Amino acid sequence: MDSFLEEEDEEAPTVVVAGKRRRRRRSPAAQAALQPSLHLPFLPPQPVSSNEHKLNFKESKEACLSFIQDALLQKQWKRAAEFLTCYVESLEKDYSREHIGPSEMIWRVGTEILWHHSQSSMKEFNCFMEQMKTLGVKRYLKVCLEHVFHLLCDGQIDEAYQNLSLAESWRFGEQTAIQDKEMKLVQAYRGLLDYYNWSKQKNILLENGEDGFSDLAVEQEMHGYFRKAAVNLKEIIKIPGVWDIFVKCYVDLLEFYGDHNEARQVLNEYAYNSKFPANPNAHVYLYQFLKRQREPKKSLISALKILHDIVPSHELMIDFNTMLQKSKKRKKRRLGLEVIFAALDYAGWKENAKAWSCLARQVKRIVISEKHLDWIKQEWSSRKDWWPAFHFSRYLAKRNWQENKSLSYEKALVAGILLGKGCKYFKYVSRQGCKAQLKRFRMLKKFVNRHNPVYLRISGPPDCSVQP
Amino acid sequence: MEFPAALFPSYFGAGPPQEEGSPALVAGWGEHGQILEGGPGRRQVKPAFVPRRGATGERWEAADAAAVPVLLPRAGCWIPTLAPQDILYRRGLCRKFRADNSGATLDFARQSQSLPPTPVETSPEEHHPDDGPGGGHRPLGGPTVSVPMSPDLQRFRGAPALSPHLMLSMPCSGCPRQHLASRLRWFSHLCRDWLFEVPLGLLADCLHEELMQQWSNLLFDDSLTAGALAWLPPEDGGTPVGCLVHPGGQAMNHLYFQDLVLEELPRTRGSPAQFELSGRIRQVAAARVDGQDFVGVRSDYHCGVWRVLGKRGAAPTPLQVICTDVPASCLTVSPHLPGELSVCTQSGTVYLWSVETGLQQLRHDPQTMFFRDHSPWRWSDFTAHPRVLSCADRTGLQCLDARAPRRCHFDLFKVGEEAGCQQGERVVLPMYLGRAHPSQYLVTTQFSVYVLDERLPLVPVLKWAHMMKAPPLFAHLMPGKPGRSHKVLLGASRTQELLLLQYRGGSQSACQLAGTPQKLHSISGCLQHLPTQLPHRHHLLQQRLTAPAAGLAATLQEDGPHKSMLIFQLSEAGDVFCQRLTHKAAQPPAPPSRDEATTAPGSSPLFEAPASSPQGLGSEEEEEEEQTFYLSNLEVIINDDDEEDMGTPAPLEEAELLREECANPQPSPAVSSPAVALRYRRWLRAISRTCKEPPQHTWPPSLSQRRLFTRRDLEGPAGPSSLQRQMRQRLCQTMEEGGLIQHWVPLALQPLHLPQTLEPAGGLDPLSARLTAAWAGDLEQWWEERTSFSVAQRQQALRERRRRQKRAQGRRSLSASFTSSLTYQSELSELSDTGPSLLSPGRPPLLSQDGSPPAGSPPVHSPVTSAAPDEALLSSQSLRCRGIPKERRKTLQDYLPVWTEGPPEPPEPLGSQASQLCIPSSQSQLSSASQPRRKRPRMGF
Repeated sequence: MDSFLEEEDEEAPTVVVAGKRRRRRRSPAAQAALQPSLHLPFLPPQPVSSNEHKLNFKESKEACLSFIQDALLQKQWKRAAEFLTCYVESLEKDYSREHIGPSEMIWRVGTEILWHHSQSSMKEFNCFMEQMKTLGVKRYLKVCLEHVFHLLCDGQIDEAYQNLSLAESWRFGEQTAIQDKEMKLVQAYRGLLDYYNWSKQKNILLENGEDGFSDLAVEQEMHGYFRKAAVNLKEIIKIPGVWDIFVKCYVDLLEFYGDHNEARQVLNEYAYNSKFPANPNAHVYLYQFLKRQREPKKSLISALKILHDIVPSHELMIDFNTMLQKSKKRKKRRLGLEVIFAALDYAGWKENAKAWSCLARQVKRIVISEKHLDWIKQEWSSRKDWWPAFHFSRYLAKRNWQENKSLSYEKALVAGILLGKGCKYFKYVSRQGCKAQLKRFRMLKKFVNRHNPVYLRISGPPDCSVQP
Repeated sequence: MEFPAALFPSYFGAGPPQEEGSPALVAGWGEHGQILEGGPGRRQVKPAFVPRRGATGERWEAADAAAVPVLLPRAGCWIPTLAPQDILYRRGLCRKFRADNSGATLDFARQSQSLPPTPVETSPEEHHPDDGPGGGHRPLGGPTVSVPMSPDLQRFRGAPALSPHLMLSMPCSGCPRQHLASRLRWFSHLCRDWLFEVPLGLLADCLHEELMQQWSNLLFDDSLTAGALAWLPPEDGGTPVGCLVHPGGQAMNHLYFQDLVLEELPRTRGSPAQFELSGRIRQVAAARVDGQDFVGVRSDYHCGVWRVLGKRGAAPTPLQVICTDVPASCLTVSPHLPGELSVCTQSGTVYLWSVETGLQQLRHDPQTMFFRDHSPWRWSDFTAHPRVLSCADRTGLQCLDARAPRRCHFDLFKVGEEAGCQQGERVVLPMYLGRAHPSQYLVTTQFSVYVLDERLPLVPVLKWAHMMKAPPLFAHLMPGKPGRSHKVLLGASRTQELLLLQYRGGSQSACQLAGTPQKLHSISGCLQHLPTQLPHRHHLLQQRLTAPAAGLAATLQEDGPHKSMLIFQLSEAGDVFCQRLTHKAAQPPAPPSRDEATTAPGSSPLFEAPASSPQGLGSEEEEEEEQTFYLSNLEVIINDDDEEDMGTPAPLEEAELLREECANPQPSPAVSSPAVALRYRRWLRAISRTCKEPPQHTWPPSLSQRRLFTRRDLEGPAGPSSLQRQMRQRLCQTMEEGGLIQHWVPLALQPLHLPQTLEPAGGLDPLSARLTAAWAGDLEQWWEERTSFSVAQRQQALRERRRRQKRAQGRRSLSASFTSSLTYQSELSELSDTGPSLLSPGRPPLLSQDGSPPAGSPPVHSPVTSAAPDEALLSSQSLRCRGIPKERRKTLQDYLPVWTEGPPEPPEPLGSQASQLCIPSSQSQLSSASQPRRKRPRMGF
């Protein structure tokens, strides 16, 4: 170490005064300001000639780190481990005010190596993590959390629980905002594990209950877990974020104890609070809850309507469409058509046979009844310039016919109605269908031919009045 | 389109980023991030958890020790790109700049100017070294620039302070010529087009502007975003022949469509389809719709689209070209609808470009979206909805509906607390990941890489600090089959870094990173695997191989149990290198295939060309020698690697153990197959053939007339040599006789352009003129005329000539358009069956300024030979045909009008722009007032 110190002094002989020196250390920001654009190493490092082999401490530290990085990126865990043992020396003079200091680097690199190193064991990993926890106060909670994650992924749930309890009781001076967040996460994960314990006890009780035998101690333990879990889970889901698992568990707890109002309130808050991100799952959970509660159709539809507004391509849109199609109200059936058209706009739905059959059914019904053709017309008017190329090209007709006959049937029906019997897609599929002597396709051809005038009315100019 | 039933937990904040930003070397390691319940086997008793990062991924290993050249270098020596030393050469300064490699991010000077003032802001005077770490920080962007700096550093705070005298000032020490040579080379390279004409004041301005642009490009060249290399994969179930679309030529203005047969090493099939474009190709984008590939090509002021039928061997059809007033910064091809593209220009305009219906402007906003950032860079891509486009600038991404762009839009990504960004973080490259999952999006910044789901905007479903040294400008997606991971390649330009990431999920399960990131070979890595070269050759090679990367493409190949990945990398020098990764589960390449490679290298067209060269037996012997040498060299390289390892205190025995360790063996496949060795050798030979010129900087700069004009060039106008011979003969004869020649003229014909005795510009210097006159006995008259021939008169004549030339220049630059080579034009009439074609079919093949076939291409004879000899000599294409470099062409054209009336001007080809859709210039003009003026590219018109 001493030699390193000397060398550094040699390297910067002009900077002698301590104050000046300190200023020099602070200069990364100043140097950063010199770069007017994205960070990049625009000057390749000059090759070090043989007589310049004496590196100062900082440089050798950096060189060592880059060797480690290189080894990690090539999955040479052993090589990286060897370098890391040298890099530990950098802790000796850790004055850096960098974003990530040497102690954090050692934690990160060490963890990564221990994950992949062939000779590492869980015991060693735990040992390493304990050391890392003491290395930096600011990072204690983060390291704890990561340790717990690893234990959980490894299936060591009890150890993880112990670690979480320990971390929860940790106190050190004033907490920063980040530490506060991390502490909330620690508590939430502990709540989650409490929930799993609770559900384990619940299952035991339910099994025993079937035998007509109940254990009071187990039941009390279960309630204890409930209380602990509920307190912690309730806390985290108040904060804006994506808390899918926590919300699910909390709602499950509440539902078990019959607190449906609280559950509803929690789900409403999670779905509709504008401070939270627009998470489709929040709406899905609410919808599922309402469905479990056997709520009237109206509230289900309104829940799904909002989901439709934020994610028109959600898979629940099929359920939504079928629900709306069954409705007696014209407005709702109209909405159903809108929903299914909107869903089929998306590339992910292109080959969804179920969606196409929903659309085909509804379109067919409208065409047969000859009522509400204007609905189709309105939906079609914003799509007629790109749906033919997107859905009804000859290439797709060929491919759909080869891959999924029923899909091509439904699509051909829609194409025949929307684009007329001259449409490439319809022509190809109906010809192939007739060739293959499938009755269904012959009927399809007949149907489309019979209703060909509808096509003219749909695709006509908007002023051409279509009967309401 | 399923949505994951539960997502990984995360906080959601709003507002500017809180976390301090700086690139950290190891920030991406050792973190699971978050965990979620639900593993593969969902047990009832014990819940199983999966981590966001750290799950196991597929194992891919490099098949060769280094990247292998795919194509032989084409004729025309590459001009090395500008290096910082070319602009800044003072050693002290260079060192200071090098020292702050670790500093953060974008243009702080301008960025912080554009930020709204905040209470915590500190001025330069107020900033004290003892301020706390949070003291001088702004809520947006990076740390302030308000830090004391030494005066000379202050002056060089990024581009705006650069002054041109830097380049011209004298070096401090060492041989002055050595410095001068490379800088002169650069000076002439940068300025040759306009140096002649510009008055000094203007020249200084131009120089300053150019330097500023070059400097900012040096720091970060975003014109290359997304890269200029595209791979058109083979059709499903067809023969394994794909097509590589890449730029080439000295100015990178030739577009090549090269068919490649995918074997263990991809080999070329047939000669490429070639198009000459009128600008440097910045980006090549491709997408497959309905079995056809659409290839979009962007250069600064033009964008074009080609169609390639799925069947290989069919020639690509050019469909349409647009030209823009402001440089285009983005061109993406729709994966949903045939012939649809999106274009962005630096004025902040986004267009949806349909080949059938033309351009539709979706947005025009010179300001950035979420906070102010000076960068004019804009990007746009497609989303899961064919009518919804994303548009991006450095601050984030927004999606807008093309049917109602003003009303319907939502924010997809914001640089801010929403995505947990760091201060100073900026969007570098957004990419639609539709082939992996229809609603996924990739966004890279200089620190991290994000995967977004447009169904859950603003919250990244995946985030990882990529730790790359340069911002990832290129990305390529290789979608995995269901149940397998998707692979994403990230590539950086200047450092040539290549990183392979894997992730999975998005529909049934939440997105998670799989496996660890993997570094792949860079082009420069193969330098150590090449045979030893002479020092100057080595230097040249090094310069060429370390040229910044310019593109990235890749393909997955599944051949039964064998799975492999081919990755192509393009460098700015135009070289395309590839490397193969094999899946670990797959067997290593069977030995028989290797034998095949050794026995039949000649079957590859790549190797045919040199074999057919008339070198005879001797060359074969030489080849063998080279090969053995090469192989021994490889062994040396292994030792080299070990030596590098010895920098560690690890004892040698441990290193041995390390190699023997079978649980996690990482042997780099050092000994590559002979086929690879052969590739290197061919490539090297071709390189040395194309770049015969020795490195210029080793010589002192000299101007030699011999190199300015070759003898053949001067033959034409030099007058009938027979006449001269006759004269000389007569002179000799008279001298022998001791007689006197009274008149030169009595001979039969006096050519008009024979140098007049008294004409000062006639090529005779005053001394010889005087001697001639004295010889003829007219010395007195000569003197009189000499004095009376007024200087003003001569100047008048010169001025007039100059004006004429200028006018000619101006007219020539008007013909800026995307003219392509004659080869393609003649094909056009046959190939473009439908749609709007680039040229009206009735027009005969027209040879415009740059329309002549390049010298190296298969010759299509042009009807230019009918022109008068002098004209033919002066027109630029004929000069080019004679192999006269461009910078000398100008000189020549200036010189030669002494004899003729001036360069002939071919008529302006009116038809060439008839089918071009010009972006309405009114908006662009409006915007260009607020934009910093960008200069037209110097190369090509």
